[in-house]
Amino acid sequence: MGKPTGFIEFTRKLPHKKPVADRLKNYDEFVDRFPEEELTKQAARCMNCGTPFCHSNMGCPLGNVIPEFNDAIYRKSWREAYDILTSTNNFPEFTGRICPAPCETACVLGINQPPVTIEEIEKHIIEIAFEKGFVQPRIPNVRTGKKIAVIGSGPAGLAAAVQLNYAGHNVTVFERDDAAGGLLRYGIPDFKLEKWVINRRVELMEKEGVEFRYNANVGVNVSINDLLREFHAIVLSGGSTQPRDLPVPGRELKGVYFAMQFLKQQNKRNAKKNPLANATIESNILHEDILAKGKNVVVIGGGDTGSDCVGTSNRQGAKSVIQFELMPKPPEERTPYMPWPTYPMILKTSSSHEEGCDRRWAIATKEFVSDGNGTLKALKLVDLEWKLADDLRPSRFEEVPGSEREIPCDLVLLAMGFIHPQHNGLLDELGVEYDERGNVKATEKAYQTNIPKIFTAGDMRRGQSLVVWAISEGRECARKVDEFLMGTSLLETKDASLLSFFV
Amino acid sequence: MVCKGLYNAEYERDSCGVGFVASIKGNKSHQIVSDALTILENMEHRGACGCESNTGDGAGIMIQVPHEFFFTECVKLGVHLPAFGRYGVGVIFFPREIRLREECREIFARAAERLGLEILTYRKVPVNTANIGKTALSVEPVIEQVFIACPDHIQDPEEFERKLYVLRNYATHTIENTVKKDSIGFYMPSLSYKTVTYKGQLTSMQVRTYFTDLSNKRVVSAFGLVHSRFATNTFPSWKLAQPFRFIAHNGEINTLQGNLNWLKTSENGFSSPLFTKEEMEMLLPIVSSGMSDSAYLDNMVELLTLSGRSLPHVMMMLIPEAWDGNDKMDPVKKAFYEYHAAVMEPWDGPASISFTDGKIIGATLDRNGLRPSRFCVTHDDRVIMASETGALPIDPQLVKRYGRLQPGKMFVVDMEQGRIISDEELKQDICSRKPYSDWLNQYKIRLEELDAPRVTFTHLSEESVFKYQKAFGYSTEDVEYLIRPMAIDGKEPVGSMGSDVPLAVLSDQPQHLSSYFKQLFAQVTNPPIDPIRERLVMSLASYVGNNGNLLLEDAKHCHAVALKQPILTSTELEKLRSIDTGIFQAKTLQSYFRADGKPGSLKAGIDRLCRYAVDAVEDGFEVIILSDRAIDSDHAAIPSLLAVSAVHHHLIRKGMRGQVGIVVEAGDVWEVHHFACLIGFGATAINPYLALATIRTMKSNNMWETEQAWEQLRKNYVKAVCDGLLKVFSKMGISTLQSYQGAQIFEILGLNHDVVNKYFAGTVSRIEGMGLDEIAKEALAKHELAFNRKKIPVDRLSVGGIYQWKRKGEFHLFNPQTIHLLQYSTRMNDYSIFKKYSKAVNDQGEKACTLRSLFRFKRTRPSIPIEEVEPAENIYKRFATGAMSFGSISWEAHTTLAIAMNRIGGKSNTGEGGEDERRYELMPNGDSMRSAIKQVASARFGVTSRYLTEADELQIKMAQGAKPGEGGQLPGHKVDDWIGRVRHSTPGVGLISPPPHHDIYSIEDLAQLIYDLKNANRAARINVKLVSKAGVGTIAAGVAKAKADVILIAGFDGGTGASPVSSIKHAGLPWELGLAESHQTLVKNKLRSRVVLQADGQMKTARDIAIATLLGAEEWGIATAALIVEGCIMMRKCHLNTCPVGVATQDPELRKRFTGNADHVVNFFKFITQDLREIMAELGFRTINEMVGQADCLERRDDITHWKYRKLDVSPILYKEPADESVGLYHQEDQDHGLSGVLDWKFLEIAKPALEKRERVYSEFRIKNTDRAAGTILSNEISKRYKAAGLPDDTIHFKLTGTAGQSFGAFNTNGVTLELEGDANDYFGKGLSGARIVVYPSKEAGFVPEENIIIGNVAFYGATSGEAFIRGKAGERFCVRNSGANTVVEGVGDHGCEYMTGGRVVILGDTGRNFAAGMSGGIAYVYDVKGQFAENCNMEMIDLDPVINGESEELYDMISRHYAYTGSTVAKFIMDDFEAQLRNFVKVYPKDYKKAVQKAKIKVEGQ
Repeated sequence: MGKPTGFIEFTRKLPHKKPVADRLKNYDEFVDRFPEEELTKQAARCMNCGTPFCHSNMGCPLGNVIPEFNDAIYRKSWREAYDILTSTNNFPEFTGRICPAPCETACVLGINQPPVTIEEIEKHIIEIAFEKGFVQPRIPNVRTGKKIAVIGSGPAGLAAAVQLNYAGHNVTVFERDDAAGGLLRYGIPDFKLEKWVINRRVELMEKEGVEFRYNANVGVNVSINDLLREFHAIVLSGGSTQPRDLPVPGRELKGVYFAMQFLKQQNKRNAKKNPLANATIESNILHEDILAKGKNVVVIGGGDTGSDCVGTSNRQGAKSVIQFELMPKPPEERTPYMPWPTYPMILKTSSSHEEGCDRRWAIATKEFVSDGNGTLKALKLVDLEWKLADDLRPSRFEEVPGSEREIPCDLVLLAMGFIHPQHNGLLDELGVEYDERGNVKATEKAYQTNIPKIFTAGDMRRGQSLVVWAISEGRECARKVDEFLMGTSLLETKDASLLSFFV
Repeated sequence: MVCKGLYNAEYERDSCGVGFVASIKGNKSHQIVSDALTILENMEHRGACGCESNTGDGAGIMIQVPHEFFFTECVKLGVHLPAFGRYGVGVIFFPREIRLREECREIFARAAERLGLEILTYRKVPVNTANIGKTALSVEPVIEQVFIACPDHIQDPEEFERKLYVLRNYATHTIENTVKKDSIGFYMPSLSYKTVTYKGQLTSMQVRTYFTDLSNKRVVSAFGLVHSRFATNTFPSWKLAQPFRFIAHNGEINTLQGNLNWLKTSENGFSSPLFTKEEMEMLLPIVSSGMSDSAYLDNMVELLTLSGRSLPHVMMMLIPEAWDGNDKMDPVKKAFYEYHAAVMEPWDGPASISFTDGKIIGATLDRNGLRPSRFCVTHDDRVIMASETGALPIDPQLVKRYGRLQPGKMFVVDMEQGRIISDEELKQDICSRKPYSDWLNQYKIRLEELDAPRVTFTHLSEESVFKYQKAFGYSTEDVEYLIRPMAIDGKEPVGSMGSDVPLAVLSDQPQHLSSYFKQLFAQVTNPPIDPIRERLVMSLASYVGNNGNLLLEDAKHCHAVALKQPILTSTELEKLRSIDTGIFQAKTLQSYFRADGKPGSLKAGIDRLCRYAVDAVEDGFEVIILSDRAIDSDHAAIPSLLAVSAVHHHLIRKGMRGQVGIVVEAGDVWEVHHFACLIGFGATAINPYLALATIRTMKSNNMWETEQAWEQLRKNYVKAVCDGLLKVFSKMGISTLQSYQGAQIFEILGLNHDVVNKYFAGTVSRIEGMGLDEIAKEALAKHELAFNRKKIPVDRLSVGGIYQWKRKGEFHLFNPQTIHLLQYSTRMNDYSIFKKYSKAVNDQGEKACTLRSLFRFKRTRPSIPIEEVEPAENIYKRFATGAMSFGSISWEAHTTLAIAMNRIGGKSNTGEGGEDERRYELMPNGDSMRSAIKQVASARFGVTSRYLTEADELQIKMAQGAKPGEGGQLPGHKVDDWIGRVRHSTPGVGLISPPPHHDIYSIEDLAQLIYDLKNANRAARINVKLVSKAGVGTIAAGVAKAKADVILIAGFDGGTGASPVSSIKHAGLPWELGLAESHQTLVKNKLRSRVVLQADGQMKTARDIAIATLLGAEEWGIATAALIVEGCIMMRKCHLNTCPVGVATQDPELRKRFTGNADHVVNFFKFITQDLREIMAELGFRTINEMVGQADCLERRDDITHWKYRKLDVSPILYKEPADESVGLYHQEDQDHGLSGVLDWKFLEIAKPALEKRERVYSEFRIKNTDRAAGTILSNEISKRYKAAGLPDDTIHFKLTGTAGQSFGAFNTNGVTLELEGDANDYFGKGLSGARIVVYPSKEAGFVPEENIIIGNVAFYGATSGEAFIRGKAGERFCVRNSGANTVVEGVGDHGCEYMTGGRVVILGDTGRNFAAGMSGGIAYVYDVKGQFAENCNMEMIDLDPVINGESEELYDMISRHYAYTGSTVAKFIMDDFEAQLRNFVKVYPKDYKKAVQKAKIKVEGQ
């Protein structure tokens, strides 16, 4: 531990963010970097706990060895920090930007003080590493001759691919979109993750020997049988892509869209690509532009995707942005029922919210109201009265009598989450089993489907989740694939030391 | 004996009272014999009896052969004895069964015949068995004396004596090996022409009556040597009584196993011109099995004496003074010791030994002076030597001199010369008989003088360092947590909060072999040493080379490489490797095995290594270097510990070990424990090349923030290892590396008996475990990972996870999940979540973490409804929270626990930091912050009469789970005003807790402290806290006999305190073993029902509690879990004062962050009790009492498949000692503390007006050495009525005449004045809390008081206030840990004012060595006329200042009061010439204290 009293001397600070007015002018990232001195101070706040909850399963899903890299940063031992961080996380540049940071809610300092700025430190470590040239292709010294197909290039697929390549296998990544990254690429807005960050990583992976095939939709323009014949193992990492719908009257109206359809268009535009091309191969491609400019926008769904819709709408120049949430407004602080170190369901105000948004809770949409020409003009709503269970969690609701009303609305973005992966096509044709939630069935220990050579990882297996979970799944799955092919593996796993596999 | 349980007779230890009376002129009389027996009788309290008051542990007497008496007796048998000197007398214990007895007799006769000796007759020794205990009588031998004629051709009586020696040894071995053994056996207490021994399993009172011979007036002798034994067991054994043939020993040999091994290996090479080859063969083995450490020492003394050395010479060899590093020692004497160090290792341990060869009689004390030895020389030419003064009442007018034996010193009465020979003269004579110094100059090889190595040494490349680190199992923790602080700070790192990781044998991670070895430590029967403050007795010196034939003195015996310490740098090793003196060379052997993973590969490697080692010895090499540098992908290193021990034992078996030194060059050695294990199993020197290379690489890569050069880092590291080693030795009470070497002071946990018997022979290992192939498997795991062909993506060392929870690291029972569940459940008062917590802790499923996780409950009786189980309220009172001091944890955390425990009727514990008096008042809401248990630890912080009076239970902390055998230190910055006040110390000044209690060096001392405390508070239970280790059961039996009410067995793993990390992990054993052993042993001894047995150590759930109960505990302690309920999140930074949740910190800001609540703690105990009652209902127990010790309700889980721990055998733990109905299995009867005869009852009677009406009283009494703890009950009564304030000064004034027993004035409080005319024993004024004590010699005595010893050792230990005036000298450790008393004395022994933190001491005479060691407060004024005082000071913490005129009032005042009270002529002289004498005074002023005083002064002046 760099400084035993750091947590007493310094308080939590986050890097400066650009002002809202500036942010809204473009889609660039707007969070600055810490000056070096501030970075080491923030790292010095880490207490190097005897029991670091941050890297337990209540904290970082990857098992990042947080106290060790904080210490290295405090000592300005950049290379060491980079080694420590990348021993558990292949893509800190992603998680350092867009992770909700369960490590920080589990931080021991958070019991009675603001927690350590773990996520920012993580981002700094990797960016410094790139700047200083520490990040070099790691090319395996032995090639096994085994070929592996990874289907889907989201964080899970990328993590699986990079790890399997390290293990000496020949990995080919199939991506139906025109670039790698999955939701990172076409779900998360640029202002949270600029896409050069993904390109930089993908280029590195290519140098390391991973092969990428874009606009390669397995089952559509790539033969499933060829794949099964050609590859020794297949990793399914296509994500949880089936959005939850809102089947109320008027759902078919023009002006009601899924969030992903909206967000992807904007990301394509930012990349100077045609947002309407390739509809048969890529996902979420619509035949029309969805733009919020000058419109009354309602975002239904109060999660991160909803928030991204808010930020994008504001940047596009929406007239007004309202965000609905079915659930009641969460408490602002932890209750006894959501104690440290659990991840608390408390009110979160994202940077997009700061940029302008009317947030409403406990509201249900009864109907999308047509202007008579098949276009949305308003929403019919009702307020909800929630009953709380013993542990203060909302348990059931009733509509508030007489609260039904209409509000004017030109664009509705449905951001209510995803229910499971897309079944038709690849998955159904492969004949993989599904679990009761419709995800591809495989245990968290084995990552193996009912078809022995086919493995699955990420949202496709566990259902919609965080990027950090996807990376974790990809890594763990890779180890299992390696074991399946080679009997043993030298790939790290998060809950056991490599040594323990040798006894 | 086949043991099913954990008891093993080898664990038995004894301590005792010893003494003699001798006529200096050699005048034989019956009076001498009778007086010796009187001494024995007056030391009864130093011996012990078992479950029957009339069965003793053993006592006896040795006298000169009373020729006249024997002549007459033999005439009655029809035998005419030849003249004195022409026959020998043997005493024989025969089996009672006549057939066996006659068989023995025949063998004995044949043996005599073989030696050409004629047996004249046997005489039955008449005995009187009246009043002898049943147990003793059940194995009473038939005692006979045998008379053997000296053959005519032998003229020299000593030659005859040697023949008798051979006869005794040979006959004993032969009988041992041929005659069927019964419970009595054959034994010869003595066989000599000079001396005869009468001894048996008797109490000291019984010796005189049992042996009617001893009352016969014709039984005359010029000396009587007596001994009374206090053993830690009560199994009948007549032969273990002392004296033996040459010595009577009060003490313990800590290094026994090693000494025996070295003896065994050298036996083959024995030859002596005094014995024929045939005789030599008949003699061997020198020691016979089944005896005690003292008996073995006696065997050794006998061998060395009869092979030609003088008895004092032998004593100097075996128990040398602390010579290494003593620059003031006479070079001739130093050469003697140095030469002999090359020949043999000390038999180390506390020892007061009286010895005699029949012509001279003498006594010697070990280098630490840890046993009292007082003597008195009279005008009628007698010497009386005993553990206590006053044991033989002497007319004061006859006393010529009172003295004490000083540490390392000896005195001898030469009855032929008719004079006392002083230590100085004696040793000078012995040391100059041979040119030891020349021999050393000629043959001793000094490492630093050797030529540069032949081959220049190349450092490992960075890449190889990393590969080797992996191959040898380094983790990042090892590098960062262990090696870094050692290299940068030169210190071993400190950690907190115990150990909750799996035992090595239960871990999934491949382990370092030494992790299966747990360090043993001293407790009760012998004291640990303070290696820092008492560094002068410690030594790391050793010799590498050939030891030679022990029986001869040969110059070449010291032809060996002398090492100042055992850690070699790589260059030093190369020097040693290329050494060639013409007759001295080294051989390097490669220590590896085929890394093919096949069964037997490791064994083949070891076999080869052993074979090569033998070859090397046969080829004449003097040093073997075992190296593992040559590993490669196909060859893995043999774990260095295994390699060393295997070679060591192989060479011992071949009788070759003494001919070579073993040096280790190993990669798998980096932490202190690794070094300790290697040395403990035979290595002489170690080159930790990889640890050194690691430091070098870290430095060259700038990985560590340090300006120091790498050579400095290396030096720091070596220093840290050396200091760490000293600490490891000292925790066992061992002073020298040489004695530790090969002493095997470890318990093995998890290796099977094949491995242990073959490679670690003689080491305790009780639960089986891994074999060689499993050891190989763990070694290969590391090797394979290191030498794998494939690159690892991000290749780092493994994380470890032992000192800090790490996800990929070692499993911890307290991990994020269990901590969260425990806190959540108790805060929400939700039992269902608590159940989840319990499940998470208990269900270790495939994994096991603790021994108890291998058990499961077995129903032996029908389940009952829970309503039938005794109510929770009955059970709450059986819970205690752990001993954590206010100081280590915050006020908030400490009082919250106390309030909670008081609410449920359980007990909280003060810890060792005293207690704030305001906690004795009830709080407005009716809660109480008073801790029911008051701890009495080695530093005695705040232990006053009031403190003791306010207790329901007094706990003597013998050892602490986290660091058994070690002391502690509270840094100055943690001692704020408040803590300083509670601890009676100066704020800002650091505090030291000594490793030992300076009033407990032995079991009889513990009995004395128990007695003192019982006097100080008769209502309180006395609890003795022990830490689990092999043999703790026999210690517990001893403690039960010492009259403890409660015995606490703590596991090694518990402990919240700060401690060196290697101690947390490697010292001590789990409580399952210690508790089971204690319960089994107590039941076996029929002592169990007299004590309450308590257990603690990482107990977390009701299952733990239930298992503890079934293994024998009726009460339980929980510390860590209770702290977690209060908010502790296992930060493990308690020692840094930065606890972020306000639990273990004194920082006011951080304390505000404390959120603990007594309600939560209450919830926790409610839950755990509820859960426990559910288990009881399931198992069918209605009460805890029914459940205690029902180990048959536990069995081993049968679903264990793990390769490693399925081989463990836990049946010894689950063994249920058979006991008939009369034997209680839980606490049923109270101890008889023997307070009825205490002098204080008389005091109380007279003091009634003072107690009731504060009227002044005065009275006079006689006192003798059996009147102990005078005034203590009286003070307890005062404290009860008048609290801390006590009575006004001098309200009660008692004058006593005679010799006071131990602990005179202990814990005496304000208002009491005790005036003693006479002298006193040890612990004078112990814990003085306000009283005045005055002592001066009898007015009839003719000697000069200031030249004589008047009070014993360890006076005013832990005194907190009051004053005392001593007319005469005190013994060792005067005013140790005094924190507030003002005393005047006229001379002190070694270690004066040690650890003192307050008060004033005026010394008007000489001091011994090491004055003021660890002294952090108070002031001592020393009258240093000779100007020698500075040399005797330990200058580390003090300044020596002149006393300036302006500051002298205090001094004058004390001296004038001394004069007023004692009439001291010394005081008068100084007073009369005060101005001039002032410059002869030195003011001993602790530096930190001076700063604090000056700061306070400035503060006052500022206001």
